[in-house]
Amino acid sequence: MKQIALYGKGGIGKSTTAANLSAALAGEGLDILQIGCDPKHDSTRMLMHGTWIPTVLDLIRERGDETITADDVVYRGFRGVRCVEAGGPEPGIGCAGRGIIATFQLLERLDALKGDVIVYDVLGDVVCGGFAMPMREGYAQEVYLVTSGELMSIYAANNIAKAIARLSRRVRSRCTLGGVICNAKNIEGEQELVEEFARRINSRLIAYIPRDRVVQIAELQKQTVVEYAPESDQAAVYQELARTVYGNETTSIPTPLEMDELESFALEFVQV
Amino acid sequence: MNSNPSPLNSSRYEGCTLTGALSVTTEVRDAISIIHGPAGCTHHNFSLLHATHLSNDRLEVPRLLSTRLTENGIIFGGEDALEESLARAVSLAPASVFVLSTCIVETIGDDVAAICAKDRGVPVIPVPTAGFLGGVFETGVRNALSSVASLARPATETTLSANLVGEKNLEYGADENATEIERLLSRLGITINLRFVRGIETRDIGRLSSAAVNILREPALRPVGEDLDRRLGTPCVDSFPAGLTGTCLFLEEVGRICGIDATAAVEEERAHQAAMLSRFDDIAGSRVCFQSPHPMLRGDPGAVAICTECAEALDLTVDPDGAAIPLPYPAPVGTAGLRRMLHRWRVLIREKQRG
Repeated sequence: MKQIALYGKGGIGKSTTAANLSAALAGEGLDILQIGCDPKHDSTRMLMHGTWIPTVLDLIRERGDETITADDVVYRGFRGVRCVEAGGPEPGIGCAGRGIIATFQLLERLDALKGDVIVYDVLGDVVCGGFAMPMREGYAQEVYLVTSGELMSIYAANNIAKAIARLSRRVRSRCTLGGVICNAKNIEGEQELVEEFARRINSRLIAYIPRDRVVQIAELQKQTVVEYAPESDQAAVYQELARTVYGNETTSIPTPLEMDELESFALEFVQV
Repeated sequence: MNSNPSPLNSSRYEGCTLTGALSVTTEVRDAISIIHGPAGCTHHNFSLLHATHLSNDRLEVPRLLSTRLTENGIIFGGEDALEESLARAVSLAPASVFVLSTCIVETIGDDVAAICAKDRGVPVIPVPTAGFLGGVFETGVRNALSSVASLARPATETTLSANLVGEKNLEYGADENATEIERLLSRLGITINLRFVRGIETRDIGRLSSAAVNILREPALRPVGEDLDRRLGTPCVDSFPAGLTGTCLFLEEVGRICGIDATAAVEEERAHQAAMLSRFDDIAGSRVCFQSPHPMLRGDPGAVAICTECAEALDLTVDPDGAAIPLPYPAPVGTAGLRRMLHRWRVLIREKQRG
């Protein structure tokens, strides 16, 4: 079983990438579980054709965790991809990070963490230990950073690389960086910039996903691109990504950049 | 009076903010103290308060309620659990309710003050007591005293009386110390208005502002004294008296604040002290050696001065080979405190002489 996690700045396209990745992996005949680890709980919506599935934490809140079964929290979407949303407390109250930890403990107890590939789609910023849970021992062994060429996005990716580097120092840790995925904003020289960033943090660019209108159109149809336009170039990109990730055996411990390195890196690439 | 170097004393400058606050709020006897957090925070403190009361020959049971938060309360927020506990507390018809926070609810950001602000027909007073913010037992005492004081209103007129502020409720000698202050103040014609807070009821807090002066238990409570002065206009003396001279200075200071000439009172007290010292003539000329009360504790900074003063008054010689005398912690209160201290010195000196 391969377990991967997608991290990256909020709004960068993690959920779109994750859902299309899961759909494409399922197209290879693999059994896929995608777990949304964001209180906004919109990770699996395109796989579920727009349905908001009940979140694990909603169920815990309403019924307590005693009587919950795997069938209550796991829903089959496009191509049989099994979908789970962790959910979270109401905005502005409680502790979402602890909610992620509780969700993982419940999924373990229900023996729901199985399949050929588990895709963890995680909140943009690793704001506390709870959101680092998918990187911890026993869960995702490969983290993929999703970023565009925008500096804020690279800054966020660098921060996540710090979390990976820190966690990888723990004795039993198996968490590594699988690679960097560039979800393009169509900035000039974007691919080269992200490629160089990946190299400098001791990783590599494993996929370049160009910006394409079909992503938005598919979203309006509440579908993944892989389902909505299977013959499109964009669908081919996701299929290629799926094959690369599934076959990836080269991972690394990242060497995140210091702030001044990040700034001088930006100056090298951005035309002013 | 307590010169026993028990861990209880040292923990005032360590320990948990919550425990310090509870040592105050549980002394409002018709109030309920709600501890908003996991059940263990309440159990632990209930045990500590109950056991300490028993060892001080007090049979009261602290009125504590826990919101009993568990993991789901942390994830989804504990405010509903607090609402439920408040309803439960109010159903028990207390005269007031204190709500004390814990580390975990402050971490997840429960808005305890907002929930306490709702009208429930009974005063509900929040006390911030999360220990992890770096406060100690003493911080909890201060926070609780200021919170309890919010139930007082400025007085239209004051009487010639004093409040005792921040008595050390977990200590053995609290009542003896209060009796000594009462005795000293009676020399100036001043009575005790309110023990703030020890063994009182909610309605008693209303008369907090009627005193002419607040007597703080120790200088660490100065922020509370200043707060009470600002809110209710009552000036304060910042410590119970310690030492022979210190006790006379205390009378002078209280007299000055209350506009009373203390000359006669001081003379009477000096004579009282001389009579007290004469009862220890039998140990005159002995050798003594003052020591830290406990390897883990530094003595009260004022203790050395107080002991040296007594040694001189009794013509004792301070000598490394003398009878080992532990420095009192905290300092003994008033002349009566010194008398009890000297009784212990006598025992130690005789033991040394017997070899």
